[in-house]
Amino acid sequence: MQKCTACNLPETYETIEFDENGVCNICRQKDYKDEKINWEKRAQMLAELVEKHRGKYEYDCIVPFSGGKDSTYTLWYLVKKFKVRPLVVQFNHGFMRDTLMENNRRTFKKLGVDVISFTPNWKLVKRLMLETLVRKGDFCWHCHTGIFAYPMHIALKYQVPLIFWGEPSSEYTAYYDYEDEEIECVDETRFNRFINLGITAEDMYGMIKDDYQCDPRELSPYTYPPLRDLKRLKYQSVCLGSFIPWDVKANTKIIQEELGWRGDQVEGMPWDEYSYEKIECSMQGMRDYIKYLKRGYSRVSQMVALDLRNERISKEYGDKLVAEYEGRKPPSLTLFLEYLGISEDQFNHIVAKTVVPPFKPDFDNMEYAPKTHDFDRWYREDEQDQGIIYKAKVE
Amino acid sequence: MIGILDIGLGNIQSVFNAVYENGYDPILVTEPSQLADITHFIMPGVGNFSAVSQQLETLGFTGAIKDFIASGNPTLGICLGMQLLATNSLEGGLSTGLEIISAQVKPINEITELPVPHVGWNEAKFTQQHPIFENIKDCRDFYFVHSYHMACDSSENILAITDYGEPLVCIVAKGNVVGVQFHPEKSQKNGMQLLENFCEWDGVWQPSESAHTIDQQVTNIAV
Ligand SMILES: [Zn+2]
Repeated sequence: MQKCTACNLPETYETIEFDENGVCNICRQKDYKDEKINWEKRAQMLAELVEKHRGKYEYDCIVPFSGGKDSTYTLWYLVKKFKVRPLVVQFNHGFMRDTLMENNRRTFKKLGVDVISFTPNWKLVKRLMLETLVRKGDFCWHCHTGIFAYPMHIALKYQVPLIFWGEPSSEYTAYYDYEDEEIECVDETRFNRFINLGITAEDMYGMIKDDYQCDPRELSPYTYPPLRDLKRLKYQSVCLGSFIPWDVKANTKIIQEELGWRGDQVEGMPWDEYSYEKIECSMQGMRDYIKYLKRGYSRVSQMVALDLRNERISKEYGDKLVAEYEGRKPPSLTLFLEYLGISEDQFNHIVAKTVVPPFKPDFDNMEYAPKTHDFDRWYREDEQDQGIIYKAKVE
Repeated sequence: MIGILDIGLGNIQSVFNAVYENGYDPILVTEPSQLADITHFIMPGVGNFSAVSQQLETLGFTGAIKDFIASGNPTLGICLGMQLLATNSLEGGLSTGLEIISAQVKPINEITELPVPHVGWNEAKFTQQHPIFENIKDCRDFYFVHSYHMACDSSENILAITDYGEPLVCIVAKGNVVGVQFHPEKSQKNGMQLLENFCEWDGVWQPSESAHTIDQQVTNIAV
């Protein structure tokens, strides 16, 4: 596989392109961000945006919150720097880990904020996971869509037009262009293009209704609200990272010091180097594993690429991390198979159909990654609840 | 209140829906007296110039629209609705327009060999600034379907051009009136933004001081 000569990302990475020197577009974009963005002007835009909305509604803004480093930093920044009164909205995908819950509790108390937490129906979640695993090789549809759609419903219910997300997606991919002086809107366009895997909630209902007992209303947390309603609200759904430079390591340090935020072990990752990324979900290891099986790289490569780009590690060290950690099988695979009621062979068979050439996974020779400290406390389904409860087949 | 001209000549549902989706409650204007109830007026573009201008006259709209415009209310013409703002048109035999903007509507195939109608996505290159361009960047794509183009007498009235073998005028303006040759209601995000901007516009606009300097780039568009 071809790899970027600067950051090592492979050709199977989404939206990647290489120039004549073999340097990828994401590396080149980073150069642009460093040199040409007028951050002073952006900071002024941010201040104007906040002042425009301050004190006008029940809350000054909505902060969708996962408890990861980006949303935690966003909440900290808005409360501390702007003294806003936010409504924190949390979509519980069903896999929140102990450290994360402790972090959240501490953060909410230290910052003194109001919080709404929403947990959708687990039985439906399992059915949704299986459907998108089979169709897209990505079992997180309920999480992607819920996290982005649900806070918009809350914005409408409370009539709060300003919504602050954390990091702009251009940090990782080239879908949005820094060069365009464009403030990325987290709107339905982005939802339909990048979030919902091309499956709307209506589509989803049609896909599962024949075998699964489901009221169409149960899909509403995963449905983007009508544009007209959002327009009438004059909504502004933006990323804090569009207005201030987003330095993940510096941000993490701040929330560690100010909020006692703690990182965590993530299956299949080097725990010493990357203890602060994607700690929100006990199925993260599964997600990374599937990515590896599909594309021949996992988040180890992605994290190394980011560090190489920021000149934080040497290429040799990066290569070593990738060789040592990438492509290991997470212990959570067992739990995952129990949730969905499928065997590992069935799982491999499903994933094999979504592999991105030229990569070819070797399903039979995957070594297990070690268990994380909290593995034994992760939710396990009783035997009688394993798998999905299907309707009796209607002929 | 936003009013959309509906004289029964074609489907205006997509314009109605686009304005509605933007959060407004538009009404259909089917008789001239309704113009008194609205603040913003949209003339969508369907049909043949001479037939439509004839119909406007018959229904008593010609004078009413001129009065509405003269009172300073924001008015938007889309496609044929933009061309109706011109002095006259050659489509369907020489016929008179609303005479708001000094221009003649002519066949595209007089100036370019490219196939007619001009259908599909094409870039709008701004030649002047305007409040309805807020949050829309220069050189974005919009959706076109037309066989005639508007040849303006003065570049003061030209806001944007599009390249179809030759430069064609694609947005015009005069005071409280704007016209767009493309279909904003079929132009996705930027089209929706343009419609929203129009609905929020107070109808105030002056041509830029430097408007005359663009004369050179647009010589072949002027009559
Ligand atoms: Zn690169």
